[in-house]
Amino acid sequence: MKVNKLIIDFLLSLMEKKKIDAFLLPLKVPSGDYYTYVLTDEKELIEKGKPVPPVMPAGGARALQSLTRLGSLKRKTGIIMHPCQIKAVIELYKMKQVDLENLYLFSFDCPGVFPAEKYIKNPKETEKKFEEGNQNEIRELCKICDKFDMVYVDVYIGIKKENIYLTPKTEKGEEILKDFKLENQPEPEEIKKRRSEAKEKFIEDFEKEIKGPDALLSLFSKCINCHNCMRVCPVCYCRQCFFDSEAFDLSSENYLLRAKNKKALRFPADTLLFHLGRMSHMIFSCVNCGNCEDACPMDIPIGRIFTFMAEKIQKEFDYVPGRDPQERLPLVTYEEEELKWVEKPYTRILRR
Amino acid sequence: MEKDFEPRIVYFMCKWCGTGGSETASAWHFSYPENVIPYRVYCTGSLSTVHILRALIEGADGVLISGCHPGDCHYNNGNFRARRKVALVKKMLEILGLEPERVWFRYVAHGEGKRFVDTATEFSEYIKKLGKNPIKERRET
Repeated sequence: MKVNKLIIDFLLSLMEKKKIDAFLLPLKVPSGDYYTYVLTDEKELIEKGKPVPPVMPAGGARALQSLTRLGSLKRKTGIIMHPCQIKAVIELYKMKQVDLENLYLFSFDCPGVFPAEKYIKNPKETEKKFEEGNQNEIRELCKICDKFDMVYVDVYIGIKKENIYLTPKTEKGEEILKDFKLENQPEPEEIKKRRSEAKEKFIEDFEKEIKGPDALLSLFSKCINCHNCMRVCPVCYCRQCFFDSEAFDLSSENYLLRAKNKKALRFPADTLLFHLGRMSHMIFSCVNCGNCEDACPMDIPIGRIFTFMAEKIQKEFDYVPGRDPQERLPLVTYEEEELKWVEKPYTRILRR
Repeated sequence: MEKDFEPRIVYFMCKWCGTGGSETASAWHFSYPENVIPYRVYCTGSLSTVHILRALIEGADGVLISGCHPGDCHYNNGNFRARRKVALVKKMLEILGLEPERVWFRYVAHGEGKRFVDTATEFSEYIKKLGKNPIKERRET
């Protein structure tokens, strides 16, 4: 794709001007069947990089968590990722897991990515389809993603008709782009409108598949409790996960009692609790990146389940992940006068 | 509705106010239904959403949560945070069609023994009318 070349040229010119020292960007693995993020300041490697890859490399936002775990970066580092991963970075910043000092965030008009499974099986053909701009075989989640431009980045790279348009969105971004000639970016309205419509339809249709105990349990019935979805999730950051903790080292009596109550107990146990519990922990920060769905070995539509829930719950609490790094996460803040519907009024005083 | 249905109810109450309410109730020799199982937590704000979900999945028909009145929290804002968590759980249950009315949140102060007993009784009767929690007997959870 020509766009990749243009973006790489832009990144290299930033390096030449000494505005950025190193980059974290997607690069094809040597065996040629996947992409991973690499941190590099070698010019030859950056030239080979693919800022707009055909699959979503896992662990984008979490890479920054590792990078800044022991303090902020000492050299100026540019990060180029899909908009959803950048949103996850902002969420991790709110959770105090990422230090944004000396980090420069770049993102672009995302054309969507192919399912990892499809790419691994047939890298060459999938790559060709991606470069042709095939929009029918991209991930189901990417087909309904309409928030790709609502993200907090330093430099936003608009893509239209094999051309790129640079937009600074923060002071840091303006400083980097001082010497560049900027053109106004044409709005990506058409694709946005199409995806918004697809999303509305998806929310309407998916309700049938998830509502009620029968539907919900049959969605998760294949789960083998491997916790892959948690490990690749960019916003599931806890070093000790509750679901790996001693809270699940239970005695045999406990299992037998539960088996008695339920007539039988399915193993691996606690799968529904794992999914609903994880959902309640991170649903506000869910950025609909679909890494979980890529990683699921049992083809559970886990990304779609979380997207559906996130759409509804984030709307309810008027929260958009990745919109503004100064915004606070809904569960760590409160207002005194709110959510009165939760409180059960004490009206029926019983006589005794 | 089954006639001999005795609901199992988990009552989470905070160390400072909810539990205090139960102490006052005992001082007044009030009684509440025996199927209400009390659990003391240090603050309702420390209660995770997972505890509520785990209770509902593993055998409770209803979950009650009682903390201090607004402005009375020993840790300043634990009860407001708890309200957000309960709101989240209730919304999730509503969207998934799992009966959000099985979770109640009501403030009980240290001196309000009567209110504590009434809450437990009222909720127990309410759940009795509502019937069994549909997911607690599903083995494929």
